[in-house]
Amino acid sequence: MSTSSNNKKTAIPQLVLRPEFEVSDIEQAQTSEVARKLSTLERIWNIDGVRKFVILLSLVVAWQAYTVGFDVEPLMLPSFWVSFSTLIRDLFYSDLIWKVWFSIKVLLIGYSAGLFLAAVLILWATVSRFGSDFISMATAMFNPLPAIALLPLAMLWFGLGTASLVFVLIHSVLWAVALSTHSGFEGVSQTLRMIGRNYGLKGFGYVWKILVPAALPSILAGMKIGWAFAWRTLIGAELVFGASSGSGGLGWYIFESSQNIDTDGVFAGLFMVILIGFFVENVIFRNIERRTVNRWGMQR
Amino acid sequence: MDTKNSTAAGSTPAVADTKPILEVDGVTLQYKTKEHLITATYRVGFDVYPADRFVLLGPSGCGKSTLLKGIAGYMKPVEGAIRLKGREISDPGPDRVMVFQEFDQLLPWKTVKQNITFALRNGGKSDNAAEADDIAMEYIQKVKLSGFEDTYPHMLSGGMKQRVAIARGMAMEPDVLLMDEPFAALDALTRLQMQKELLQLWEDTHFTVLFVTHSIEEALIVGSRILVLSPHPGQVKAELNAFDLNHENVGTKEFVEVQQRIHDMLFADRILEDEIQTGDKG
Repeated sequence: MSTSSNNKKTAIPQLVLRPEFEVSDIEQAQTSEVARKLSTLERIWNIDGVRKFVILLSLVVAWQAYTVGFDVEPLMLPSFWVSFSTLIRDLFYSDLIWKVWFSIKVLLIGYSAGLFLAAVLILWATVSRFGSDFISMATAMFNPLPAIALLPLAMLWFGLGTASLVFVLIHSVLWAVALSTHSGFEGVSQTLRMIGRNYGLKGFGYVWKILVPAALPSILAGMKIGWAFAWRTLIGAELVFGASSGSGGLGWYIFESSQNIDTDGVFAGLFMVILIGFFVENVIFRNIERRTVNRWGMQR
Repeated sequence: MDTKNSTAAGSTPAVADTKPILEVDGVTLQYKTKEHLITATYRVGFDVYPADRFVLLGPSGCGKSTLLKGIAGYMKPVEGAIRLKGREISDPGPDRVMVFQEFDQLLPWKTVKQNITFALRNGGKSDNAAEADDIAMEYIQKVKLSGFEDTYPHMLSGGMKQRVAIARGMAMEPDVLLMDEPFAALDALTRLQMQKELLQLWEDTHFTVLFVTHSIEEALIVGSRILVLSPHPGQVKAELNAFDLNHENVGTKEFVEVQQRIHDMLFADRILEDEIQTGDKG
């Protein structure tokens, strides 16, 4: 055997024969550790929020240290503490809170109108191929168009006021939501579709009970994008014509503070924009996701 | 074959006494891909009787899954007719429940129990939430998933998911349960377990099941009657009895004989298929 294989240049490995054995009774595992709890510090550090808070804290500290340490001109860059105090003061002792409420009210109107129109469009697209083609065409055309660019037109059509704001908000929500929901629907697996029809679901029931939950990750993603677009658009639009509309929102507050060379106020306004954006994204949407798509294992 | 039929006559009712529950009558099914019109089955005919464990067996490309989709009502035959209890099938409906191979056939947003009650409520089997709950719990127990009723599908193993799908299908008490290679994506040990459990469930109520598989062994174990299909396009090759074959006699002379017989039928086609494919390439 070995001589024949040695004839050629390379010897192929041969099987090594060993005796068999069988363990009659398996004793308790000898290793002492199967699962050990991590240390408290390690567990705390594993919480996302804790790590993010530390990052936030260090940014704040750096800002404060820079403005105080280098004696920066407060009109250019006020310290964090001054800006923050202005925010608290204006929120509780001035009318900032009403301005915020005004903005949020307009936003909610625009956002829900946008969602409603998106739902109508998508229903149309699910029942007819023409509707589906329309969504693809319209989103391709209008999605790249910044909502703020429609503002001049909105002002011509609807004048200065809430109607114009709502118009541009609808534009910024509608296409993002329609696009992602539509592609979410198209991605619903053939098996789930067949299951739905097997149990007798048709028409609206089929859309609501099968397509919507199955496409929920995409729908939520679209709603988040739509929200972010809408929020930016609103603040931007308020900066442009909040002045002449009489009752201004948060954007108007920022603009007004800037006109008064009140840099603290500008920063306070920006804080507010960030805080609300953060709250909606990380509290509202995060909770919806946790209760739905995360819980169902459709998204990690 | 003849001798087997005569031994069977004692234990099962004669064909003349009972009406078939499902009649497939000279059915030709076609579907379109981007470039071709494919004939999946050509004039296939067979009758399924109540309490049958009827297996459609054949190699890939014999149109057995397409046939099942036709029976489920997702496809219309271009020729022939499919009748359930004498009524021609036109649409999908809860009187023929499908169990698929894919694990994603469970609704991920519903728990084990909700998946079953969803079917019961929407399929018109129950209009009372409490009653649907009771039925669901009964079938969850039947497939040995008690304790998992409030679990979401993504937490379950593949075998458990298929059990839920089977429980959901059985809870509907359809005229015929359609199973499209339900165990094909499972590991060998789980598959064996599931086959045994399916047979135990069948023993309880003798429900009618139409089972698609490409495994000869699985067909013989699960099936009471086997339709052997040849590929490209699917045509009936044979219809055999297998009610006396199960896990216990796997490997016995009798079992191996039938296995070999079917193997030879399919193998003859396989050579042909290879020739066609090499011919296509050349």
